[in-house]
Amino acid sequence: MTIRLDRISKSFGALTVLQELSLTVEPGEFLVLLGESGCGKTTALRMIAGLESVTSGRIEINGREVTDVAPKDRDVAMVFQSYALYPHMTVAENIGYPLKIRQAPNSEIQARVREVAAQVQLDPLLGRYPRQLSGGQRQRVALARAIIRRPAVFLMDEPLSNLDAKLRGHMRAELKHMQHDLGVTTIYVTHDQIEAMTLAHRVALLDHGRLQQLGPPAEIYNDPDNLFVAGFIGSPPMNFLKGALKAGRFEAPGIVIGTPIRGEAANAVAGIRPEDCALAAAGAGDLDAEIYSTELIGDHVLVTCQREAQTIAIKAPKDYSADIGAQVGIRLNPQSLYFFDGTDGRRVR
Amino acid sequence: MTIAIPATQAVARRKLGAMSPGTAIVVYTLLALWTLIVLFPLYWVAITSLKEPIDVSTGPYYLPFVDFQPSLHAWRYIFVDLANDTFRPYMNSVIVAFISTTLAMLAGSMAAYALARFTYKPKIGIILLFILLVALVVAAVMHWSVDWRIASASGLALFFLIGRAVAGRLRRSVGNSDILFWMISQRILPPVVAAIPIYVMFQRLGMLDTHPALILTYMTVNLPIVVWLMYDFFVGIPKDLEESAQLDGAGRFRIFFGIVLPLSKAGLAATSLLVLIMAWNEYLLALFLSTAHAQTIPLLVAAQNATRGPQWWYMSVLIIIMILPVMALALALQRFIASGLLLGAVKG
Repeated sequence: MTIRLDRISKSFGALTVLQELSLTVEPGEFLVLLGESGCGKTTALRMIAGLESVTSGRIEINGREVTDVAPKDRDVAMVFQSYALYPHMTVAENIGYPLKIRQAPNSEIQARVREVAAQVQLDPLLGRYPRQLSGGQRQRVALARAIIRRPAVFLMDEPLSNLDAKLRGHMRAELKHMQHDLGVTTIYVTHDQIEAMTLAHRVALLDHGRLQQLGPPAEIYNDPDNLFVAGFIGSPPMNFLKGALKAGRFEAPGIVIGTPIRGEAANAVAGIRPEDCALAAAGAGDLDAEIYSTELIGDHVLVTCQREAQTIAIKAPKDYSADIGAQVGIRLNPQSLYFFDGTDGRRVR
Repeated sequence: MTIAIPATQAVARRKLGAMSPGTAIVVYTLLALWTLIVLFPLYWVAITSLKEPIDVSTGPYYLPFVDFQPSLHAWRYIFVDLANDTFRPYMNSVIVAFISTTLAMLAGSMAAYALARFTYKPKIGIILLFILLVALVVAAVMHWSVDWRIASASGLALFFLIGRAVAGRLRRSVGNSDILFWMISQRILPPVVAAIPIYVMFQRLGMLDTHPALILTYMTVNLPIVVWLMYDFFVGIPKDLEESAQLDGAGRFRIFFGIVLPLSKAGLAATSLLVLIMAWNEYLLALFLSTAHAQTIPLLVAAQNATRGPQWWYMSVLIIIMILPVMALALALQRFIASGLLLGAVKG
């Protein structure tokens, strides 16, 4: 089922939380709305669900305009961050509730509950109450309650954020597998970029109510549209150097790097990811810096260097070692340099 | 009243467990003393119901069979001699208290839910317009002897016409908290102030000394308390639950009766018990509104202090049969007035 958002905005009085968001979610797609808290991602999701009114713009689900349609008539199912299980009902009653409301025959409800419970491995727990379940189990009940209706769209609002790190990784894989199996169009809200990158077919990155970039995870990572996207995606984040970009050369105090980029900017920011930097002997790189710290991460050593009150993170091979305070050179891969206009954050290509 | 506040209880329990033996002795002695003070009046009522008039007037006697010879004469008088004159007020009390409580709970919790979940912005100008038109209608009926049906119909029509015309231009409005405060403020008024207008109203309607008059009055009087108490319970229910039910396809009424009310059992039990006790014990309004047919049990108790002086023994019997059902109900509802109902709803 296709979902089309056409310049939807949301304001609370003078405060605009979402500005003219337009995007189309393709049938069976897993789209992630990513951004920091307060960026408008949850508001957008709630507007699609119908829990929040639309200030302006229109929403279409499967070719039908639903901008002013009641939530129950939109054929969407939502998994809440808090799971929102009904505490006075058993697991089976919770899962079967959407069917009960639609007055499905009892025998059908029971059969479907068993079927869905098996899908999320809840079958032994059907008689329990939510308070008797662990966080992961509650999460599964919430999922099962969403699945049972076979809705046109799944909406998920940070469904994994209340789980501990280990369980989160496990549920992430399960979610991805399940969405693939069911093939239901899914919109998923998260602030966690790992979740976004691993789950999504496409990621929509929001900041201050504006869509910053929409694309597959690899594109968002490798080809950021602006300074915000470049700085948000990636862990550790991209290194930034301030300078000037002119006639195929980026110049900053003590640095001159040639680049194939033809664009120019007097107030430019050069960005490079930690894995695209290499350490060299002092004076042998594109710039010199002082080692601030080295951390063994496992498959690599994260080296933080300091240069004129700026820090630069570098992923070095796992056997790298150096003393804190040592002078080193840093080589930057000119193919992996990104340039941005420092005034408006636009990418300079 | 037994409204348990579990969090506080838990804290208290922890502290009691941690006390030194010396402190424990002092604390338990004080508690035992207080228990005696609380229970003694009940004991006194119980033995007084078994005393002959002479034992009451020459007393005090404390122990049956030791101080005085117990007798069932008062019980016989109330149940056998008075018989229907006891049972009728008793049934009146049961009918009036239970029906008015049910209605007040139903209307009050719905109002409280609406105030907890919807935003209202009535314009001050519209409220003033309504009051003005009510005054005009009253004046028209009283002074210019306009037929009340015509007067109220025209008043209503005017209200909608003028209201529609000026609503857009009015700026100042009141919010939910103002409405809530207004509801509670109805209880600031001493009941006796309202008693006479209520009396006159039911007299004009020919409804004095009937069940509906008492039921309607008690319902109205108790409504603000229900709204006030239930509002707090509803606000505490996570919105996610209702939104989830909304997406699952439930309508507003279904959410209210199927999700919100079952989760508010504790609040419903506590509030209805409080309201029921208030209706059950109500004396002043019953005194105004009922004479013989709809007379309630508190009036019968008071009537034992009549021309022959206070008949303590009969009064005691009536007091006992009057408090028994309320005590039984409080015990029955106790298990609902417990915490943990919302456990497992959200997070862990």
